[in-house]
Amino acid sequence: MTALLEVRDLTRAFGALKAVAGVSFSIRAGELVGLIGPNGAGKSTLYNVIAGAIAPSSGEVVFKGRPVAGWKPYQAARAGVARTFQIPKPYRHLSVLENVALSALLHERTVAAARDSAGVVLAEVGLADYLDVPVANLTVGLLKRLEVARAIALRPSLVLFDEIMAGLTPSEVKGMTSLVAALPARGITVIWVEHVLYAIMNTAPRIMVLHRGELIADGAPATLAKDPAVIKAYLGEETSLA
Amino acid sequence: MDAAPPIAKRRPKRWRLMPERGTLSLFELALLAICVALVVARPPQYLQDVIIQTFLWAGLALAWNIAGGFAGLISFGHAAFFGLGAYTSTILTVNHGVTPWIGLWIGGALAAVFATLLTLVCARLRGPFFILSTLAAAEVVRIAALNWEKLTGGAEGLAILPTASVANMVFDSKTTYAALMLGYLVIVYAVTKAVEGSRYGYYLFAARDDEDAASAAGVNPLLARTGAMGLSAFLTGIGGSLFAQYFLFLDPTHVLSPELSFQFALLPALGGLGTAIGPVLGSFAITPLSEMLRVYFGGKAAGLHLAIYGGVLVIVMLYFPSGIAGALRRLAQRRRSDAP
Repeated sequence: MTALLEVRDLTRAFGALKAVAGVSFSIRAGELVGLIGPNGAGKSTLYNVIAGAIAPSSGEVVFKGRPVAGWKPYQAARAGVARTFQIPKPYRHLSVLENVALSALLHERTVAAARDSAGVVLAEVGLADYLDVPVANLTVGLLKRLEVARAIALRPSLVLFDEIMAGLTPSEVKGMTSLVAALPARGITVIWVEHVLYAIMNTAPRIMVLHRGELIADGAPATLAKDPAVIKAYLGEETSLA
Repeated sequence: MDAAPPIAKRRPKRWRLMPERGTLSLFELALLAICVALVVARPPQYLQDVIIQTFLWAGLALAWNIAGGFAGLISFGHAAFFGLGAYTSTILTVNHGVTPWIGLWIGGALAAVFATLLTLVCARLRGPFFILSTLAAAEVVRIAALNWEKLTGGAEGLAILPTASVANMVFDSKTTYAALMLGYLVIVYAVTKAVEGSRYGYYLFAARDDEDAASAAGVNPLLARTGAMGLSAFLTGIGGSLFAQYFLFLDPTHVLSPELSFQFALLPALGGLGTAIGPVLGSFAITPLSEMLRVYFGGKAAGLHLAIYGGVLVIVMLYFPSGIAGALRRLAQRRRSDAP
């Protein structure tokens, strides 16, 4: 199968700092890939480049066989790339339902239809009781779920999740994990940045490790857990993953 | 996971009491009935002047609100669009014999083009910087109008011949003017409601609240903003033409002044920014107040009416931060939660 997303030798520098330095990888349609790395490893920058929020300094991004480096976020969204924001960015004067309906409008022809399909997505992420609530009243955990709902409502081919488990209780993490794990079967390929390690290590069959802007490992969780470079860079000495 | 049930069932169609996005409410219909009654009742002439101005200002406040409230483009330069509309239709009718019924569309279109170009240049500025750039642009237009005497008559201004006829859009009866301004108000309100409940309205609200998130959801924020400013300026320009036909005299100090721009912004802010009913309520509360204060105190103690006016504004801003519309909404919510 050909790659859905192909990143080749991607670099993004901020002045002298290379936040992403020569990263290459390829994601097939239907994959669920974890992306981990310490703070400042370049995960958010990588996301921002793929989703069009910032342009790369050099390198290529190929989505569905088309070179897209330097595209705009709305072009990415229309082409099928959805993302969540690490710090939630709700539309603060709109209700929960309206926040998600805006995303659903990408595919729905009428506002009423978009509101309907937004309601369906909100039920999936467990926000069915909050439809008419102003987003200002939501807790961080609920805002994270709202981010996920907005991304899924875009009906993307590829979704970039950024720390969607932060602030969730263990049982909520469980529910969200099964939601994410079910996405590839629905035709949504997932890249998933997460600091709640047990969730991602037990869910994603493939994990990429980013460290100081470079991809230092890419493989199954079990292999990574024994990789000395990964252990040293990210987890510290004498730590076990699973 | 089971297939989720479609929980967002469309609400049954029935009349709502208070204004809401996307539907008409009893409140709005009652307000319209009162407005029509005010026109038909033919009150004394000084009251009719207040009514005419209240309607016109409500329409203008609504037009401003499409940019300032819906799109978050706080503009202190709308006097430029108002003046462009007023001057265009007036110059066409005075110098070229074009009826204002046609001239007002041309004036609105010119204002829209100017606003669109301005937004394309200034939209990358944010907050206070955008506000200042609109203020500066309007000042440029005012100074240009003062100095381009051949076209605008400069500081001496332009007068429209008061020959009453439908084709001239000049009328003997204040009642006709009141009906004209109410027609303008109703049309701008209808446009506002249509935008508010539409796909485009969602785009504007999203781009206003969080540009990054809106863009990540497929919305082109610059396009959305530019369109809002263009539409707002178009409607404001038409209001300028109507003002010219009512006042029959134009000069840059009046129709292009910064004070005018502040007034456009003030009425929606007091009434409820970003709602459809807010700017209307703002004008209905403030325009008669400012007129009455001017009449009562204007002669005796010059400037006192402005002091009282300012005091009222401060109180409203302090205690009703979401405007009159926000206070009404809270009242409606309290009633709803009191009900069993």
